[in-house]
Amino acid sequence: MRTNFNSGVTILAALLLTGASSCTKNFESYNTDPTRLSPGQSISIIAQAYGPLQQAIYADYQTAQNLNADGYAGYMTSPTNFSSSLNDQTYTLIDGWSRSAFVDQYNQVMAPVAKIAATGIPTSHPDMWAVALLVQVEAMDRVTDRFGPIPYSKAGTSFTGIPYDSQQAVYNLFFSQIDTAVTNLKAYLGSNPADTVNLGTGDLVYQGHYDKWLKFANSLRLRLAMRIVKADPATAQAQAEKALNDPGGLLTTPADDAKFAQSGGRNNDVWLVTFSYGDCRMGAALTTYMNGYNDPRLPVYASPITGQRIIDSLGAGKYAGIRLGTFVNKSLYGGYSSPNTNSAFSQTASQYLMTAAEVWFLKAEAALRGWSGAGDVKTDYETGVNTSFQQWGVSGGNYLNDATSVETDYKDAFDSTNVYNTKAVSTITIKWDPAATDEVKLERIITQKWLAVFPDGQEAWADFRRTGYPKLFPVAVNTSGGLIDTKTQIRRLAYPQIEYQTNGTAIASAVQNLLGGPDNGGTRLWWDVNKANF
Amino acid sequence: MKSPIYCAPVADNRTQLSPYKGRLFAKMLLIMRLTTIFLLATALQISAKGLSQKVSVSGKKLPLEKVFSSIEEQSGYSFVYKYNDLADTKPVDLHMKNADIRDVLDVCLKDQHLSYTIEKNIIAIRAIREEMVTPTAAPVTEQPAAVVTGLVKNEQGEPLAGVTVLVKGANRQAITNDKGEFSIQAEENQTLVFTYVGYAAKEVAVGKEHSLQVTMSIAQADLNTVVITALGIRRSEKSLTYATQQVSGDQLTNVKTDNLMNSLNGKVAGLTISPSASGVGGSAKVILRGSRSASGNNQPLYVIDGIPISNSSNANSQPSNTYGGTPDGGDGISNLNPEDIASISVLEGASAAALYGSQAQNGVILITTKRGKAGLMAINFTSSAFADQIAYKPKFQNSYGLTAAGKNDSWGPALSGGGHDNLKDFFQTGTNLTNAISLSGGTQNAQTYFSYANTTARGVEPKNKLERNNFTLRETAKFLNNKLTVDANVNYVTQTVNNSPALGIYSNPLTGLYLFPRGQDITPYKNNYVKDSTGFARQNWPYKGDALRQQNPWWVVNRDPNVATRNRILFNGSVKYEVNNWLSLQARGNVDHIADNYESDLYAGTDGVSNANGKGNMLINNQTTEQKYGDFIVTLNIPSHSNFKVNGLVGTSITDLKTTGLHLQGDLSTPDFFTAGNIIASQPGLSSVTTSPATGNVPGPSGSTVNNSPYPVHSQIQSVFANADLSYRDWIYLTLTGRNDWSSNLAFTPNESFFYPSAGLSVILSQMLHLPSWVSYGKVRGTYAQVGNTVPPYLTNVQNIQNAAGQLVFNTAAAFRTLKPEKTKSTEIGTDWRFFNSRLNVSFTWYKTNTLNQYFPIQPVTASLFSIAYVNAGNIQNAGIEFTLGYDVIKDKTFTWNTSVNGAMNRNKVLDVDSKDSINSFVLTSNYNNNYESHLTKGGQYGDIYGYALTRDAQGRIIFSGDGSTHAYTPTKNTVFTKIGNSNPKFQLGWRNDFTYKRFSLGLLVDGKFGGQVLSLTQAVMDQYGVSQVTADARKAGGVTVNGVDGTGKAVTTVDAQTWYSAIGGTTGASGQYIYSATVVRLREAALGYVLPVPQGFFKTVKVSLVGRNLFYFSRKAPFDPELTMSSGNGLSGVDVFNQPATRNMGLTLNATF
Repeated sequence: MRTNFNSGVTILAALLLTGASSCTKNFESYNTDPTRLSPGQSISIIAQAYGPLQQAIYADYQTAQNLNADGYAGYMTSPTNFSSSLNDQTYTLIDGWSRSAFVDQYNQVMAPVAKIAATGIPTSHPDMWAVALLVQVEAMDRVTDRFGPIPYSKAGTSFTGIPYDSQQAVYNLFFSQIDTAVTNLKAYLGSNPADTVNLGTGDLVYQGHYDKWLKFANSLRLRLAMRIVKADPATAQAQAEKALNDPGGLLTTPADDAKFAQSGGRNNDVWLVTFSYGDCRMGAALTTYMNGYNDPRLPVYASPITGQRIIDSLGAGKYAGIRLGTFVNKSLYGGYSSPNTNSAFSQTASQYLMTAAEVWFLKAEAALRGWSGAGDVKTDYETGVNTSFQQWGVSGGNYLNDATSVETDYKDAFDSTNVYNTKAVSTITIKWDPAATDEVKLERIITQKWLAVFPDGQEAWADFRRTGYPKLFPVAVNTSGGLIDTKTQIRRLAYPQIEYQTNGTAIASAVQNLLGGPDNGGTRLWWDVNKANF
Repeated sequence: MKSPIYCAPVADNRTQLSPYKGRLFAKMLLIMRLTTIFLLATALQISAKGLSQKVSVSGKKLPLEKVFSSIEEQSGYSFVYKYNDLADTKPVDLHMKNADIRDVLDVCLKDQHLSYTIEKNIIAIRAIREEMVTPTAAPVTEQPAAVVTGLVKNEQGEPLAGVTVLVKGANRQAITNDKGEFSIQAEENQTLVFTYVGYAAKEVAVGKEHSLQVTMSIAQADLNTVVITALGIRRSEKSLTYATQQVSGDQLTNVKTDNLMNSLNGKVAGLTISPSASGVGGSAKVILRGSRSASGNNQPLYVIDGIPISNSSNANSQPSNTYGGTPDGGDGISNLNPEDIASISVLEGASAAALYGSQAQNGVILITTKRGKAGLMAINFTSSAFADQIAYKPKFQNSYGLTAAGKNDSWGPALSGGGHDNLKDFFQTGTNLTNAISLSGGTQNAQTYFSYANTTARGVEPKNKLERNNFTLRETAKFLNNKLTVDANVNYVTQTVNNSPALGIYSNPLTGLYLFPRGQDITPYKNNYVKDSTGFARQNWPYKGDALRQQNPWWVVNRDPNVATRNRILFNGSVKYEVNNWLSLQARGNVDHIADNYESDLYAGTDGVSNANGKGNMLINNQTTEQKYGDFIVTLNIPSHSNFKVNGLVGTSITDLKTTGLHLQGDLSTPDFFTAGNIIASQPGLSSVTTSPATGNVPGPSGSTVNNSPYPVHSQIQSVFANADLSYRDWIYLTLTGRNDWSSNLAFTPNESFFYPSAGLSVILSQMLHLPSWVSYGKVRGTYAQVGNTVPPYLTNVQNIQNAAGQLVFNTAAAFRTLKPEKTKSTEIGTDWRFFNSRLNVSFTWYKTNTLNQYFPIQPVTASLFSIAYVNAGNIQNAGIEFTLGYDVIKDKTFTWNTSVNGAMNRNKVLDVDSKDSINSFVLTSNYNNNYESHLTKGGQYGDIYGYALTRDAQGRIIFSGDGSTHAYTPTKNTVFTKIGNSNPKFQLGWRNDFTYKRFSLGLLVDGKFGGQVLSLTQAVMDQYGVSQVTADARKAGGVTVNGVDGTGKAVTTVDAQTWYSAIGGTTGASGQYIYSATVVRLREAALGYVLPVPQGFFKTVKVSLVGRNLFYFSRKAPFDPELTMSSGNGLSGVDVFNQPATRNMGLTLNATF
C-alpha cells in the first residue's frame, strides 16, 4: 500500500508538472489584437495618419464649435432647446461642451503628433514633421483662442500635473513652430521641388504638395500675427511682415485653400448637425447682413425657410436665421433657414481650415496698418470679396459697388412680446470708401471677411472679440447670471471641470496668475485687449 | 420530490457515514432529490423509489466501506454505521452477481461481529455487543436507584435491539436486548436518552411509571446532505466552511420566466437579480453580495456539472448611457432549458469559489443537470401557458391638451372630454408557451437522458417575440467493472428574438407613446405610421425630431425591426477512472460554441440620429464566441483508519475564450434595400476607434459608414490548483485550497502568473458536544480567501488602428505594462443550526470582501497626451449578513406547511478609488449632457447616482431666478453633479410559504427589497411635457407650492406649474427632484397545484398548477418597478429612461410523468 501510494504521488507530480510548464509562450500573441496594427505596420503607413489629424481639427464639431463659437460669431443657432435652452447659446456654459472644446485637440491632434514624433519622423522626414507641426498649430490655436492660457510647452511631460503657459508664450511657441515648419519645407522643396510622394494621398488637404503647405504656413503666421496686434503690436507686425514677405507666398486663389476632403464614412460636419441631427439653423446676424446686402452667396450658404408659420410671417422663399439666445423649440424654430446641405454643406463637402479669401482680408488689414508687403488696402479688400465669390462659385455682379445696402432689422416669427425682435445694429456698407476713417475701413474689412470666412465661427468669433466687428446682435436672453455682459458679449469659454479634477494645481495657478480674471465667459483673453483698434 | 434520508444519530459522536468518496456515485444518482434545506415540502412526488434489491459485487480484499459504497451506488440504499465499528473489520473477497443485498451483507458481515437492519432505504450496520444478549444492570453507583424497565420500538412497532439508553447527568447506561427491552437504574425526574444508529435521539423523562414504552423514529434530518461545490466536487454539507444555498429544479420550473435566472429572484439570501427592462429574451443582472469591480465583470460564473460555461451576450451587449439606442444583447444563462436543471447551488463568497479561480471572483452559480436513472424509465411532459400584462402604467393626466398647434407638449387649455387610453392601443398581452418533454432511463451501467423544450413567447410590446428550442442528450456509462465512468452531454439551443425594444431615449417607441398630447386619440397613427410610399421623411408623426427624438411608436416597431438569432452548442464530456479505493483520475472538457447573428434595419423616414442620410441604415453583427475548458484532476482519499482523515485533490485546467465576428453598419445607398452591399462604402472587419473616454457630448450617432468588428478576444487562463480537506472525527474540518493562474491578458507584464489561497474551518458542535437532543445539528464555520481576477485583453499592448478609410489612427491609450490582477480578499463567518429533529433550521453568515488592485481606466491630465491610462487601485468593500430560516410548521400525513425566510443586508463602501494619483472618483456612466451619472466615489457606494439638485440657500429654500412678474419665477439648479441617490438595497427579504393538503399544494413567495433610491427620467420628461398627472394636479391647484426665495430674498411660495416642471423636468432638468425610494415589496410568486387522481398505470403522476408571478406590489414608491434595470452591466443602475414597464404574469402548468 505504501509503495503504491508513493508511486501514485510520483505520477501525479509528473502530470502536474507537465500542466504547469505548459505553454504560456503564446500569451503575447493571444494578447495582441489581430485587427490592429503592429508598430512596423504603423510606420509603413505613417502618411495615412495625417488625414485623421487634419480632420480632428473639427473633432466633436457640434459641441466643440457649432453650439458655441459658431453661434457667438452670429453664423448659426441651434433650434434645439438643449438643457431647456440653458446652454452656451444663452450663456449658461455647459461643461461637457467645454470639455469637447478643450480635450479633443489634445487627444486627437497633439497626442498623435507626439506619437509621430516618437517614431523619429522629425529627424528622418523633417518635411513630414513640418506638416504635422502646422496642423498642430492650427488646432491648438483654436483651443487657446477659446480658453486663453493652456498647457502647451510642457504637454506630454507628465501624467499628473502639467503647468499652463500664458497665451503670449503659446503664441510665441506657435511662431517658432511655424519657423521650423517653414525651414523644413523649404529645405525639402529646395532639393525635391515637385515631389509629393512622402505624404501623397494621406494628406487630405494638399495631397503632399509642400509648396502649398509653405503658403499655408505663411498665411497661418499672418493670421496669428494679426490676432495679437493689440496685445503685442511689435511681434504682430514683425511676424506679419515675415509672412507677407516670404518668398513662399500666401494662399492667393481658391486653388490654394486649405480644406480637407472627407474620407471613409466621414460626413461634412455642418451637414451632420444640420441634416442628420436637425440641430443647426442659420444665425440671425448672418441672414440680416446677407439679406441686406442681397449677397449672392446666401443661397449657397443657406436654404430658405420652411415652417408654415415662419413662411406666413416672413414670406415664402425668404432666408432667415434664429437670433442667438432665443428660447427655441425645434418644432417651431426648426423651420428657419438651415445651412444649405445640398450645396456648400453637402454630405461629402470638404471642410476649410483656411481660405485665400481670408488671407486677402488679412492683407487688407495689414495694409491698413501700413505693414510692409501688404499691398494696397482697397485691392486687397476687393480681391478678398471676389476670391470668396470665386470660392463659392457665384458671380458678384455689382456687389462691390453697392454703397447703400446695410444690415436689415430682425423679426422673429414667433415673438409676440418683442423680446427677440431687434433693429439692425450695423450701418456698414459694402463699397470701399477710401475717405472713411480707419475704424470704418476696419469694420468694412472685417464685415466682409466675416461673410467670407463662413462657416468657420471659430475664426470669426476671434475677429469679433479682437476688433468688435462685425457688429452683432447681443444675446437675446442672457442666463449667465451676470458673469457675462450682454453688451460686450462672451469673451471665452470656461475651463472644463476635468481640468480642475485632473490638473488642479496647475489650473488654479493659471487662473490666478495667467488668465487675468475669473474663469468664466466674461474674462478677456490676452490678445483681447479692451482698447481702440487704432 | 422526496428528500433522501441519510441519517446519523445526533448524540452519538462516533457515528460515521461511509466515507463520502466511496459514495460519490450513489450520491450523484440521488443528488437530484437533494433539494434545498429550507424547502422540504412540495406535493409533487414524481420520482419513484428506484431502489434495487439486486446488486453485483466482486473483488479481492475489499474493505467493507468499499462494499457498502458499491451497494449504495447500485441500489440507492444508504448505509449508516459507527466509524469505530468498522475499524477492526477484515477485508472480504466477494464474487456475487445479481445477488440479493441481504445475501451480500450476510456474506461480508460474517465473523465481523456486526449486524445490520434495513429500514426504508437505510441499511444500518451495528456492532454486536454482549449486552444485547443479556440485559445487564448498569454499573453500581453509590446510591442504588429505582429500576426503570421498558421496551423500545420503531414506528412500525418492531422492537429495536442495541439501543443505547443513558441516564442524563449520570454515568449509567444500558443496551436493549433483541426483544427491545432494557432495564436501568433511574430516579423519578431523571431523563433517559435513547440513541440508536440511524434514528433520531429521544429523551424521555422518568415519571411515576417505571415501565416505559418508547417509540423511536428514523432520523429525518438530511444532515449529510451532499452539496456540489467548486469543480463539481460533491461534499458533505458538514464539511463546508462557507455558505451555500441550493434551489431545486422544481423551484425554477414551477413558475416559468423566459430567463431562468429571474426564477431565482427572492429565493436566495444575498443574491440580487435585476431583470433587464427589455422584453422577452432580455438579460438579467445577477449580483452576489454586492458589486465590487469598477471596470470588470460583477456577475457570477455559471458552471454546469462542474464546468464553466459562457454567459456572453450578443454583440449588442448593454446600453452604456441614457440615450441607449440598441437593444439588450441577452445573456447566456437564459438559453438553457430550465426543465433540464436538477438543482442550482449558489456559492456566494469568493472562498466558495477559490478553486474556480479568477472567473469566480463574484461567486458561482452551479447548475446540476438531470441525468438518466438506473432502473427507472420515466417520461416527463411539462406544458405551461402564461399571459403577461404590464403591471402598471405611468400616471397620465386627462385634463389639459396640446399647448398649441406646432407644439408637442400638453400645457394647453383644459380639455372638455376625458382622455383616450393610448397605452391600451399599444401594449398587448404577452404570452409565454413552453412545452418540454424529457425521457430518462437506463441500466446499472448506462443511463440516458433526453429532453426537448420549445419556448414561444411574445412581449407586451408589439412585434417583440422569442422562439427557443432546446435539445439535450446525456449519456452516462460505466466500464471496467465500474471503475471507469464516462459522462457526456450535448445541448443544442436555437433561439430567435425579434424586436427587442431599445432601451433609453433613442429608437424607443415609448417616448412617442407617453408624450403624445393628452386628450388626443393616437389610434389614427396606429395603422398609418407611413405617410406615403416615397421620399425620406415619410414617417407619419407630427412630433418627430424633438430633443428626445420621439417617433411614431408603430413606426419604431414596424419599420425599425431587429432580429437576433443564436445557435449554441454546448458539449460536456467527462471521464473518471478509479485507480483504486483511494485514488481516482478525472479528465473533463467542454466546448461552448455560440453563434450570434444580429440585424437591425432602419427604414428611410426613421429619425436622423441613426439614419444620417435619410435613406435608411443597416446594422449586421455576426459574432462567434467559443469557450473551451479542460481539466485534469487527481482525487486522493488517503487511506486511514485513525480519527484523522485527509482527502484532497490536485488538478490543472485550461480555459480558452475566443470571440470573433464581423460588424457592418452604415447608411444605405438605395433606400430601404437592406443588404450588406448597399451600405455606403462599407469596409468590413475594422476596429472601432476607442481612444478616448466619453467626452460629455451627445453620443455619436451613426455616420454614413461606421464599421467596426466586435472586439476580437482571445484569452486563455491556465491553472494548477490543489485542495486538501482534513477532518478529525467528523467534528472539525479544515479545508485548504491554493490556485495559481497564468492569464494571457496579462502578457507583456511581469504579473502573468498569480497565486491565491483560501483556508476554512468548520466545527460540528452537535457532534463535538453533548447538546440537548432537540438540537439536531449545529455548526460554526469560518473562512478566509483570496481570489485574483485578470484584466480584459489588450490593455497591456497598445496598438494603433486603421480606420474605415484606411487611415492610421494612433492609439493614445497608455500601455500599462505593470498592470496587476485584481484581488478580492474575503472573510466569512457563519453558523448553521437545526432543531427539533430538523424541523427548524437557521443559518447565519457574516462576510466582508475587499476588492483591491482594480484596474481603473483613468483620464490622465489632458495635456499628458494620453487619452486614457490604466492604474491598479481601489478598495471596494462589501460587508454584510445573510440568514435563512426554515420551519416545518405543520407536518402530518395530509397537511404540511413549511415556511422559510431568507434575508440579506449588504453595505457597499468605496474605501478608495485611486488616491495615489489623486483620483477619488470614477465614472461608471457618463452623463452625455443628460442629468444622470453613475459614480464610484471615495466614501460613497458602488453606483451612486449623480444628478442636478436644485440650488438652495442655507435655510434649505429653493433659489429662484426671475422676479415673479415680467420674468416668471424659475427654480435654479446646480451646475455641477452631486450625489442624489444610490440604488443598492439596504435589506432584502424573501419569505416563502409552502402548503400541501392531500392533493393540493400552494406556494407563495413574497419578497421585498428595502432602501435605496432610483431615478425616473421617464417621469421627469413626462412632467416637462405636461402629460403626467402631477402636472395637472399642480395646474388645478394654481401652481406648485414651494419653499423658495428669489434673488432679492423675497419668499417664493407658489410657482407656475409649467415654469416649474419645464425647469425641473426633462432629461437635463433637476434630476434630484426625481429620486424615489426603491423600496418594493411584492407577491413574487404564487402557485396552486393539484395532483390529479389518475389511475396508476399509464400515468405515474399528473399535476396541474395555476401560477402567477409578480402579481401585485404590497408597496412600491417609485413610478416604475425599481428592480428593473436598463443595463445588466456595471453602469446605469437605478435609472428608468422609458423602460418598458414590469409585467404581471399568470398561467397554467401541466406536468405529467409516464
